[in-house]
Amino acid sequence: MKILIVDDFSTMRRIIKNLLRDLGFTNTVEADDGTTALPILQTGTIDFLVTDWNMPGMTGIELLRAVRADDKLKTIPVLMVTAEAKRDQIITAAQAGVNGYVVKPFTAVALKEKIEKIFERIDSAK
Amino acid sequence: MSDFKESKLGDFESTVKDGAVDLLNKLEAGDFSGAIKIIQELSEARHKSFYYEVGTLTRSLHDAIKDFQIESIDDVIEVTTDEDNNSRITDASDRLTYVIEMTSSAANKTMDMVDSSVPVASELQTQAEALHKDWNRLIQRDLTPQEFRELYKRIDAFLGYTKNSANTLHGNLNTILLEQGYQDLTGQVIARVNELIRDVEEKLVHLVAVAGRVDSISGFEHEITEKERDENRGHGPAVNTENNPEVLNSQDEVDDLLSSLGF
Repeated sequence: MKILIVDDFSTMRRIIKNLLRDLGFTNTVEADDGTTALPILQTGTIDFLVTDWNMPGMTGIELLRAVRADDKLKTIPVLMVTAEAKRDQIITAAQAGVNGYVVKPFTAVALKEKIEKIFERIDSAK
Repeated sequence: MSDFKESKLGDFESTVKDGAVDLLNKLEAGDFSGAIKIIQELSEARHKSFYYEVGTLTRSLHDAIKDFQIESIDDVIEVTTDEDNNSRITDASDRLTYVIEMTSSAANKTMDMVDSSVPVASELQTQAEALHKDWNRLIQRDLTPQEFRELYKRIDAFLGYTKNSANTLHGNLNTILLEQGYQDLTGQVIARVNELIRDVEEKLVHLVAVAGRVDSISGFEHEITEKERDENRGHGPAVNTENNPEVLNSQDEVDDLLSSLGF
């Protein structure tokens, strides 16, 4: 299980990386916005995407849409971890095909719960 | 002072009103040369008020520029080494950059300390668990004399390791504690920048009011084009969320919304 963490703040990437490691996901890579994340995704080695919304260059919502529009990438589960908490935005993200939405500041428990829920859904869909 | 300026505009308005009445009277009486004279007077009054208000606007603008020490473009391009030459805006921007650096450094140092503490705590846990198991066997008199001698040594080593680990953890916790000092320093910086923003806003509101008077005399109309928001860009963290029904206040609310959408 290789996870790509996309956030423009290295501190936040580090926090997410450490929390994922505690959950047993030790294989992670990082990118600082959608533009740098896409080429990594296109290598076909990423199994799970955790992304922020608000980033310079390509934003998280644009990255999500790009992933869903790409035949090779569209099944990758996407978890948004973001400070964006407007009702419309969450609806937009849901419509764009997000698998989970965690608002910052978040707890380790919330992150764990969402990730587990996503995997449960994937397993039950198989 | 601003009352005085407003009364100037008020003067002009009442001059126009009075003039209009006079003008109508003169026209009705057939006094065309008198009417034209009134038109000329009105035009002159308009010019005077216009120049007056433009003068006020220029002075206010000048004061604002002076107050915030905004350099001319040439000064901005030139690298100034003298800190006193920095404008308040540049200074505020530098201060905010400092906040970003400071918070980032504190967060990273704190995480460094956590990273170096986690393995220590894990090792303590592993060793304590192993010892505890054998210790229970000792209580139940289940140990061979050879195992007892080994346990004896292992407990000695564990106590030494525990002492060192406690020192390491203590040091790491202290470093984490001290790193939180960033809150004080950045808080002070942000408070000052806040003050500047309020100051700038006040001055801008004043400038807009003066410019509005110039517009009303000159008859200028500005097309106000609303800047379109790129919804993709996001809004950043929401503040004052309690008064905004459009913002969800917790993960629970987000979860409820998502589940109402069939998630």
